[in-house]
Amino acid sequence: MDYTVLTVAPIVLLPFLAFVINSFIVKRFTSLAVAISCGAIFGSFLFACRIFKDFVFGTYATDAYVHKFFNWIDLSFGSEIFQINLGIYIDNMTAVMLLMVTGVATLIHVFSSWYMHDDIRYGRFFVYMSLFTSAMLGLVLSDNLLSVFIFWELMGFCSYSLIGFYYEKESAGNASIKAFMTTRVGDVFFLLGILAIWSVVGSVSFVDLYAAISAGKFEGIMALGIPVVTLAGFSIFMGTIGKSAQFPLQVWLPDAMQGPTPCSALIHAATMVAAGVYLSLRAYPLMEAAGMLPYIAYIGAITAFGAATIALIQTDIKAVLAYSTISQLGYMVLGIGVGSYNAAFMHLITHAIFKACLFLAAGSVIHNLHDPHTHAGVQEMPRMGGLKNKLKFTWIAMWCCTLAIAGIPFFSGFVSKDRILGDALLMALQNKWFIAPTILGFVAALLTAFYMCRMMFLTFHGQPRDKELYDHCHEEHLTWNSNVPLLVLSVFTLGIWFSGSLTGQGLVKVAGDRYEWFQTLIHKPVAKKFETYQRQEFGSEDIKSGVNFPRAVYDYNHGLSEEEAHHVHSVHKIGAVLSIFIAFSGVFLAFLMYVRRSVDPGWWVSTFSGWYKALKNKYYFDDLYIGGLIKRGLLPLNNLLAAFDMGIYDRYAIDGWEAVNRVCYKASRWFDDLIVDTVAVDGTGASVRLFNLVLRTIQSGKIQFYFLMIVIVLAGYAWKLVIN
Amino acid sequence: MITLPSYLFISFMLFACGLAVMMARKNIVAILLGIELILNSAALNFAAYTKFINQNLDGHIMSLFIIVIAAAEAAVGLAIVIRFYQIKESIHIDDATQLQS
Repeated sequence: MDYTVLTVAPIVLLPFLAFVINSFIVKRFTSLAVAISCGAIFGSFLFACRIFKDFVFGTYATDAYVHKFFNWIDLSFGSEIFQINLGIYIDNMTAVMLLMVTGVATLIHVFSSWYMHDDIRYGRFFVYMSLFTSAMLGLVLSDNLLSVFIFWELMGFCSYSLIGFYYEKESAGNASIKAFMTTRVGDVFFLLGILAIWSVVGSVSFVDLYAAISAGKFEGIMALGIPVVTLAGFSIFMGTIGKSAQFPLQVWLPDAMQGPTPCSALIHAATMVAAGVYLSLRAYPLMEAAGMLPYIAYIGAITAFGAATIALIQTDIKAVLAYSTISQLGYMVLGIGVGSYNAAFMHLITHAIFKACLFLAAGSVIHNLHDPHTHAGVQEMPRMGGLKNKLKFTWIAMWCCTLAIAGIPFFSGFVSKDRILGDALLMALQNKWFIAPTILGFVAALLTAFYMCRMMFLTFHGQPRDKELYDHCHEEHLTWNSNVPLLVLSVFTLGIWFSGSLTGQGLVKVAGDRYEWFQTLIHKPVAKKFETYQRQEFGSEDIKSGVNFPRAVYDYNHGLSEEEAHHVHSVHKIGAVLSIFIAFSGVFLAFLMYVRRSVDPGWWVSTFSGWYKALKNKYYFDDLYIGGLIKRGLLPLNNLLAAFDMGIYDRYAIDGWEAVNRVCYKASRWFDDLIVDTVAVDGTGASVRLFNLVLRTIQSGKIQFYFLMIVIVLAGYAWKLVIN
Repeated sequence: MITLPSYLFISFMLFACGLAVMMARKNIVAILLGIELILNSAALNFAAYTKFINQNLDGHIMSLFIIVIAAAEAAVGLAIVIRFYQIKESIHIDDATQLQS
């Protein structure tokens, strides 16, 4: 394992260099710019593969890590230490995450080269995509909260640019501002959290944070009457809420659909929203120490359930996917909340893959389905139907992903989601506070299966509802940059890649312990371990190169005693059976409603009309934020401030200064004219001219006159000598 | 017996004549002649003092030096005068008032 600047930095720097180069050449050499972007991210993918190979196929140890840093800012003097280090921290989780981000991003780049090809800003799209990916990779590699924050903001900016990519549309511009400002609320808290940690730990790196938690540095330190650890945990989690679109701040994500579909795939799968969950996973010991876990579980469950219900009635294919993203992110956060670290991370990975695939498939549908009159892509599901005959490959890929997200056995979504729900059930049995999140989680699973299948049935099955549109739809052919990314991603929606067993708990073994690599390798950071931790500067030889980590072995009992493990496994069995039942009943319900038509959706709408109205208005969150908070609260405040600015500050302070300045100007002008110009400048000139008149007469050039002067002077000396 | 003051008087007269020539004449060659007179008065002074006071040959040697220097100076000076004449077609001192023509 040699990890030097040359083998790690390219992961981040290749896409970044592509961004820099493309910024200059994109207008003239568009195709070259696209090739550079795709090539750069593929290069990152190769480097990530190498790291993945080292960690998963090579070392295969639970606590393998590479941590290197360099000193970025050093302002310390004497005993006052003020240093900020930047560096990389790679463990098993980073290795998996890097492979996922680079792999998914590569496929999205390839797909974009087909999807965006006819766009007038074809090249510019790739410029943003490169920067976006490089920021995400930087975030994943970061070893400290500060550089996480830097890359986090960089991603915020990129998402802003990509969501507002079609800036001719007013809605796109508004959506980009909304996304940026909403996530900014979380970012401010995140920064506060970093400062809180800094004030106690004196460092922002993750390992120092873990060590400080383990050493009990946070104990007894209060601020504003609250323990600082709670404050820090809450603030960091607020960052996650903003970035991963959790319950109070989920409003930006559905609007982010205004961007081009491949960028939605990137934002919703591999990068932006994954970053929030990833941060919470990294800061897990802090959350645990802060006692934030029940709160996190509630936030996650509410988000999962609420977003799933809104997704039930959406008619825009991308909106359904957007709400499903929020819902699935809710599952991940619920997983963190119930202490199901491994499953939450697994769901992050599996979700990234199937959601990227779903979005690319939706993009394929939209791109192939042109409105014959306006030539715009069609996103409304009521106008679709029966598309499976025309878009075969998209249909296959999308079904794979739908089954995965719905939690059908043998697909990846089942493996991860079932384990989250199983752990939630376990917590609910121990602690009655977790009962409500668990129930919400299970109900959301039912809804997920239902609305995803509804989307599939409305889009691909049945009779075409808009005959003209259907006839106008292109017949799909297998081309390398449109369908192949979809099919590659859909292969990875199979559960076998993540877990050898049916449920992901090693219960029903299909392929044996050997394939439980994910569960074996990914573990909660044990804070204790970091107390005796060796730091390493860049450029030095790897400390770990000579050390053999103990090879990880899959522990069926998860370190618990036989009896406890038995309890855990039986609960998980119940959870798994329940999940399977729920998933199939969701699919069946959708089948009854939209294929057999034996259940009328209209009846549900009229019976639950109040709720339907709430869902139509997205639970009134937009009304609350825009109508209430912004129009009632912020706008009057802004008007008041503007009135103060114009009436008081401008009128008296600025205009008053103007009067003062005018007086000063007059005085200084008088002084300048009279004293400086006339007396000083002209006076100097006059005096020089005067001396010139005098001295010119003796500089006659007549040599005999000079003789005379010499004689007179010498005679003067001689006379002086004589009188003395 | 000719005494030291007599020599000095002659020398002073020579010096005064030379100075007068230098100051009054406008001809550059005449001015050079005046300089020669002044040099000769100096040489006479050396010779007189060494005869009456030092009573060795130092002053005589110095006189010889002065004669040599005077010859060299006359050569250089006359060369300058010739060159000046070529340029200005005049050897009037008041024509030489400019540092460059």
